[in-house]
Amino acid sequence: MSVATRRKLIMALAPLFLLTILIQHIMDPKIAEIHKGEHTVFSGLSNEFILGPMLGLSQAVAGLLWIRADEFFDSGDYDAILPLVRMVTWLDPHEIDVYITGAWHMSYNFTDSDQRGDRRYIPAAQKLLEEGYENNPTVYDIPFEIGWESSDKMKNYIRAEKWFRIATTLKSQDSSGHATKSAPIFVWHQLAHSLEHQGRIKEALAVWQQALAISNAKLKLNPKDFSTRNLRDTEEHNWEINLKRLYSRYTHEINFAIDRKMTKSFNPQTGQPYPDDAYIFTKGPDAGKPRPAATSNPWNCAFNCHPVFIQPKVLMPNGQFNVGNGARVTIELFDYDWHPEKLTHFTFDIDESQTIMWDQHSVINGKWGRKIDMSRDPTMYSFSRPYYWLVFYFDPRQTSPFIQDKFGWSGEGMTDKHYLWTVKSPIPGAPPDRILQKVYKISRAQVLGLEPITEKDVVPNAVFAKQEGEVFP
Amino acid sequence: MVTLAIAKQTLDDMLRRKVLLILLIVTVGMIAIGPSVSFLSPRESSSILRSLGLAMIMIGGLLITILSSIQVIPTEIERRTIYTVLSKPVQRYEFVLGKFLGGLFTVFVMIAAMGVVFLGVLWYQEKHLAAEMVKGVMLTFFQMMLLGAMAIFFSTFLTPVVNFFVTFAIFIVGNLSSVTESLTNNPNPATKIMANIIHFVLPNFGNFNIQNKLINPTVEISNENVFIMQNIVYALIYSAVLLILAILVFDKREV
Repeated sequence: MSVATRRKLIMALAPLFLLTILIQHIMDPKIAEIHKGEHTVFSGLSNEFILGPMLGLSQAVAGLLWIRADEFFDSGDYDAILPLVRMVTWLDPHEIDVYITGAWHMSYNFTDSDQRGDRRYIPAAQKLLEEGYENNPTVYDIPFEIGWESSDKMKNYIRAEKWFRIATTLKSQDSSGHATKSAPIFVWHQLAHSLEHQGRIKEALAVWQQALAISNAKLKLNPKDFSTRNLRDTEEHNWEINLKRLYSRYTHEINFAIDRKMTKSFNPQTGQPYPDDAYIFTKGPDAGKPRPAATSNPWNCAFNCHPVFIQPKVLMPNGQFNVGNGARVTIELFDYDWHPEKLTHFTFDIDESQTIMWDQHSVINGKWGRKIDMSRDPTMYSFSRPYYWLVFYFDPRQTSPFIQDKFGWSGEGMTDKHYLWTVKSPIPGAPPDRILQKVYKISRAQVLGLEPITEKDVVPNAVFAKQEGEVFP
Repeated sequence: MVTLAIAKQTLDDMLRRKVLLILLIVTVGMIAIGPSVSFLSPRESSSILRSLGLAMIMIGGLLITILSSIQVIPTEIERRTIYTVLSKPVQRYEFVLGKFLGGLFTVFVMIAAMGVVFLGVLWYQEKHLAAEMVKGVMLTFFQMMLLGAMAIFFSTFLTPVVNFFVTFAIFIVGNLSSVTESLTNNPNPATKIMANIIHFVLPNFGNFNIQNKLINPTVEISNENVFIMQNIVYALIYSAVLLILAILVFDKREV
């Protein structure tokens, strides 16, 4: 090679190299965009999996780890799954199903010997889902899951509504993974249910109407879409039954057995059935008159309980409740200083010194309560604090429709001499919730059966409410 | 013409190498067993199938590129066949370029074969042609082109064994471009300077990793096609820089 050519080549090197730096500089923001939410190989991966991410194969390693997690699900090695969920979502923050499955796993799979869930994992599960939503803000799946767990697991219907509403505005993925389709119609259904659970029935009816409009529009395009036809029928049924329940509970009580046989149609504004046989007295002195609203004559619930620790850490609630069979009373026992946490970042490490027990017992023939044995699960119920809250409550918003038919959505038809308590809604215009609640503050000695629980340990609902705040707004 | 003749001879030679063919067969086999993960949910299966397929092509391409590129020049010197070539009217730069292009054609043929199998497996599993995967396969090829140029450059003055480790090490560091990029904003001045040197001087192989977007189509890259073009231009220019360096070193080397 001639000296001149050599010199030219050397001279060409500098501008070419500068050009690569310039291109790199231009590309850097996009590279950061692609890898947003990913964590590096230094995130705590075990040695066997570290080479893949170093070669730029984070997603493949994430996939392999998830296959391994699936094996752990099959073998019941539930504890081993959590670190894998963390690693997979760090390596590939777009694995939507991993966020959802991981959160479901934490919320539902950790239980005591009697299948009562370990509620210490719920804040972590919720935080994992929120992190998933931050990394995948365009698809409905994760907000829907947050809504579902808020409703089903936490019974926090305000939070559920918020997330279901977000989910309705997002897209679902088609078979190739592109977020092109609207969120499925069941998201609207759950949104309506979350409003029903808050007693906001007129808003729920409006959502059912929205869902109906969406389904009808779909059917117009494809009248033979039987799946949508089924959903449309469900929506129509739910809208109608809600309207009629609204009428029955707050205007004139409908006898639904007669309604099913006799009703030809109903008023779509009020829910009033036609003909009126279903809500008119046919016999007695009031024959011919409309029945009063179901909730207009408050029912004395005579709610009470006399809890006893029959053995150390074994609770017998001994409850009574003047209500139809099938109503469920919730029982909570938790540390006096515990407040459900709102985590700032996801961690699956829980505070093992916390004790939180949550159960629901059915009322049968006016009585409720069965043995709650917490002695067999010391890792879940360590009872390491000096004092505890022991709370028994019935929330009409969590109960079955046939019980609500007497009490109304928000307990308007309930009365009780001692334990009726009204919980105000933070939502403007939303009705307050009237619940039955008896709260004890008990000591560790009482939990261990060394001292009895007496009525002196009962704490007024107002005092208890001051200490407990809403945690997941 | 001389360059192309050398390239063709190199390609023929490479395609006869059993080790490369075995690598190709193993990689293709691994891609083909991808659908066995269908016990997961459809979305998870699809994601794993895509990520493992792209990973296999990358790993196969990486091994084929390194094994072919680190040996082409040293083998000629070792077997003394280079004397026969250079005694003819062949310039040294033509020899280097010919060897590089021969290796590049080999990698192209191998990656194309793996890509076709990968698309076929996806089509079999998902019942539609996942055309967007071509982008991933194409960028893997350009990533390997850059890697090949680097290996050729080192092969002009390093032994194959040393070259293997050096090239592989730089490939790993270059793949951490998203890490080095974030370290360029580190408050520690020493870290910042080191990160800038690594990030802007070493070839950034991590630029080509767009699997995230391909596996998760909900991930958006603004001006995706422009980004892909930038990557290709980056690979071409950086390869040119490395080849010029290789030519300059090889020109002065006594063989």
